[in-house]
Amino acid sequence: MNTELHEKRIPIIKIGNFLIVSIQVDMHDKLAIQLQSQILEEIEKTGAKGVLIDISVLEMVDSFIGRMLSGMASMAAIMDAAVVIVGMQPAVAITLVELGLEMPGVDTALNMEKGMEMLEKRIADEEYEI
Amino acid sequence: MMQLTSNTNWETIDKHLIKTEHDIVNVRQQIRFCAKQLNMGIINQTRITTAVSELLRNMYNYGEGGEVLIQKGMVDEHNALIITCSDQGPGIDNLELAMSDGYTSGKGMGYGLPGAKRLVDRFEIESEKNKGTIVRIMKWN
Amino acid sequence: MGETHNIQRIKERINNIEDVLASVAAGDNEARINSETEDDLSGIEAAIDLLIDDLTDELIQREKMQKEVEDKLSKIQEQQKTIFQQQADLMELSSPVSKVWDNVLILPVIGTLDSQRTQIMMENLLEKIVETGCTISILDITGVPTVDTQVANHLLKTVTSARLLGAECIISGISPAIAQTIVHLGIDLSSIKTKATLQDAMIYAMKQNKLSENVKLQTLFTDPDENED
Repeated sequence: MNTELHEKRIPIIKIGNFLIVSIQVDMHDKLAIQLQSQILEEIEKTGAKGVLIDISVLEMVDSFIGRMLSGMASMAAIMDAAVVIVGMQPAVAITLVELGLEMPGVDTALNMEKGMEMLEKRIADEEYEI
Repeated sequence: MMQLTSNTNWETIDKHLIKTEHDIVNVRQQIRFCAKQLNMGIINQTRITTAVSELLRNMYNYGEGGEVLIQKGMVDEHNALIITCSDQGPGIDNLELAMSDGYTSGKGMGYGLPGAKRLVDRFEIESEKNKGTIVRIMKWN
Repeated sequence: MGETHNIQRIKERINNIEDVLASVAAGDNEARINSETEDDLSGIEAAIDLLIDDLTDELIQREKMQKEVEDKLSKIQEQQKTIFQQQADLMELSSPVSKVWDNVLILPVIGTLDSQRTQIMMENLLEKIVETGCTISILDITGVPTVDTQVANHLLKTVTSARLLGAECIISGISPAIAQTIVHLGIDLSSIKTKATLQDAMIYAMKQNKLSENVKLQTLFTDPDENED
């Protein structure tokens, strides 16, 4: 069982100031929690300013994974990194809203490119303010 | 207490024991497959799969695992997918409270039951203290 | 001699009546006794013939009616099929999502909205958003006379779902009647961007577009310096 968990470890890729995570497997709860701490550790280690989480292949996001994602965004924000959820499928979005998880305060983007633009804009804005 | 709808004409597709989180993932995938076979649209497939995921989590967290029964059949002139989750856990004290939005008794954050109810066409629950809980959900195709 | 002959004849005639009745019962509408002799028995025979006439008339009438009903039923079924097909077509046609500008989608809604139509509309719009990658969509309900709670909730759900995808959905053309209904129903639309007219919504969309264009330019200019430091 444990080896199976390790096999399914979700890779986190660093590009420039950003971390890119693409969730390609149907996650169970433990894997979701593991991913959350994995990403936070990576933010600390790399000093990344933004995290792009691609969920375009996820066919289902239930309340647990939904909460994991929005929690992830708040936690990363405290660590001064912005999280953008990328590529949610329409069916997933409708289901989440019907579940009652509207994920306020979580940034979203239609695709990787738009998500990247969003993060760049945010960093540019912050630098502009200084 | 609510009486569960049942019918001997329903065809049993499969039956699973839920013991590990992997069982949850597997059953979830099978439910989506069954929904697809019943010609449900992508959004209804996602709704029923998500609802089942919520129920299985409850079962796993509070009911120490349990059993899932997947059936198909006619309900009120609808072609329905019928999922029954039963556990021998502690049961639910106050069903009305458990079904209200935002309520949680533990690790869950209170979207489970009411959320699942909103995603399906029919939601039935039967619970007895110290005996267990049975939840039956149905989705028309 | 004469007696036995008579009895013989009467027997034959009774047999004949039995035969005729049997064939009528078997479905022969033409069978009649048509007795030519005039005596006590012929009265009964004539009466039976009349009875058979009435019966067959009624039978023929009934068959005709049944056939008519069946014809009508199949016609109605045919029509119903057409209606279903047209309904489905109408559903598709009635929610045309089109890209009108760089990054901007418009869904003009005309006619009464029911729960089912709103649901299909919502699905269409969200699919189109993902397909085209447009981040702004305008849901123009100028042509909608009224909404109920369910429809208003569906509209709300559409906007929230669009946001989860990473797109903004603006609702334009809310009529006074709809505004009144929405507030009376206690539905909170404050989290949604609403514009008075389609024109206003378009102007807003263009401004948003320009804003993100500017940002792209800005990052182009600032990026190289920042990275070298």
